[in-house]
Amino acid sequence: MADHEAVKVLDLKGLPCPMPVVKMSQEIGSVKVGEVIEVHTTDPGSLSDFPAWAKSSGNQVLESQQDGGVIRIFVKRLK
Amino acid sequence: MEAALQEKLKGLMASKLSREMRLYLDTCARCGICIEACHAYASMPETRYTAVARAETIRRLFRRYFKAEGRLLPGLGETIELDDAALEKVHETAYTCTGCRRCMTYCPFGIDTQMIQGIAKLLLIGADREPKLLTMLADMSIAKGETIRDTKGAFEQAVRNLEAEVIEKWRGEAGREAIPVGVKGADVLYVALAGKHSIIPAAAIMNAAGEKWSLSYFEAVNFGAFVGNPEKTREISRRIIDEATELGVREVAICECGTAYRVMKHQTGRHPFEVISFVDLMERYLRDGRIRVDRAKLDGSRVTYHDPCQMARNGGVIEEPRRVLRELAGDFVEMRPNRGENWCCGGGGGLVAMGEKDFRMKSARVKAEQVRATGATVLATACENCHTQLSDLNEHYGMGVRVAFLSQLVADALVQA
Repeated sequence: MADHEAVKVLDLKGLPCPMPVVKMSQEIGSVKVGEVIEVHTTDPGSLSDFPAWAKSSGNQVLESQQDGGVIRIFVKRLK
Repeated sequence: MEAALQEKLKGLMASKLSREMRLYLDTCARCGICIEACHAYASMPETRYTAVARAETIRRLFRRYFKAEGRLLPGLGETIELDDAALEKVHETAYTCTGCRRCMTYCPFGIDTQMIQGIAKLLLIGADREPKLLTMLADMSIAKGETIRDTKGAFEQAVRNLEAEVIEKWRGEAGREAIPVGVKGADVLYVALAGKHSIIPAAAIMNAAGEKWSLSYFEAVNFGAFVGNPEKTREISRRIIDEATELGVREVAICECGTAYRVMKHQTGRHPFEVISFVDLMERYLRDGRIRVDRAKLDGSRVTYHDPCQMARNGGVIEEPRRVLRELAGDFVEMRPNRGENWCCGGGGGLVAMGEKDFRMKSARVKAEQVRATGATVLATACENCHTQLSDLNEHYGMGVRVAFLSQLVADALVQA
């Protein structure tokens, strides 16, 4: 698994529904097109929420990694 | 406002004018009984926060475009034009109302303010002025119906990573999955939220009861309902209905999320399965002796219960949580008022997701006072939205309580056989 060079890391562990996706959608505009945000979460649902959000918002999930209970998701801003 | 947009919005408004809606719009006698029923008005006594004032903008549009006197002599009656200023007003009324429907229970005609706000929300969608955050969340849920094919494996792995935490609460049979997913022929499909706090306690409780259950791949919450988009609400519900039908379950148990429960239980029609709340399920397990709980876990704690509006007043789940709490706690006290007359927490209608913390805190002062008057140290509830709002209120007003989900209290008190 290749790590992606993220310009920002969001620690969204333990947030209530639907805050992880809300925070992501608020932060994506703070990076340039082509840059990557790394998200840390503990929500299993994030693994399907973030790709669905990326599809509907026109961005891209590059990779998801699971290390025990912590999930790392790399999101690239596409537009 | 361009004429084409105005025509489109009038068409949207017409689509909502059912017999009941016309009755609600025609009937208000302005008696004012609803005024003090609103938690926002009770906390911040301004006319704009009364139910009657919230409905007035829509009523005036209705009179202007859908009543003969308004069409013929718009200058004579209490009418307004559908223009940008009207839409600004509509936005304020729609998104300072939590849709709790407490005003409806006091109205002598039973006028449903939330239903009237359904027109407001639809007008905002038609004018592309709705809160984009709520539409984004609804769109994400709809997209998940397609992308789930590619993400199932990762979700299943994440769920397996949680199993040790379930087993800490309840040691199940050897070889049996602690969090089963995609089980054909399961009796219960449990629909959680994205977070593990919504999965782990419920899993422990269902395993303790020996339930044949399966975790849904989808989240229960329906942001189509929050933003007032009927098509998106249906599409989001459809994912769960299809999953339940494919698995052939007898019951779909909705997690502790008020809107999710109300939409699935009362607004999606008939299905080949029953829709129940997870609170119903816990109460049934306790009543049938399928699980046992240790009351000592809450020794020294005074426990009170906040009825989520969409579960109690609008959903009918009223006595079940109380029966659960009486099993759990020796010192359970009611907040007053309670059940169908309980004050809203102030976080519904999409406000928690949208942020709006200043308004949420100010408009729910009455809720904080109500909780404080109980002297409780544990504040139980059965809704994610309420839990978040009550936790924020707890911090803001220094209420000094522990806010807890019912499922969390039950799971922590399970007695291992």
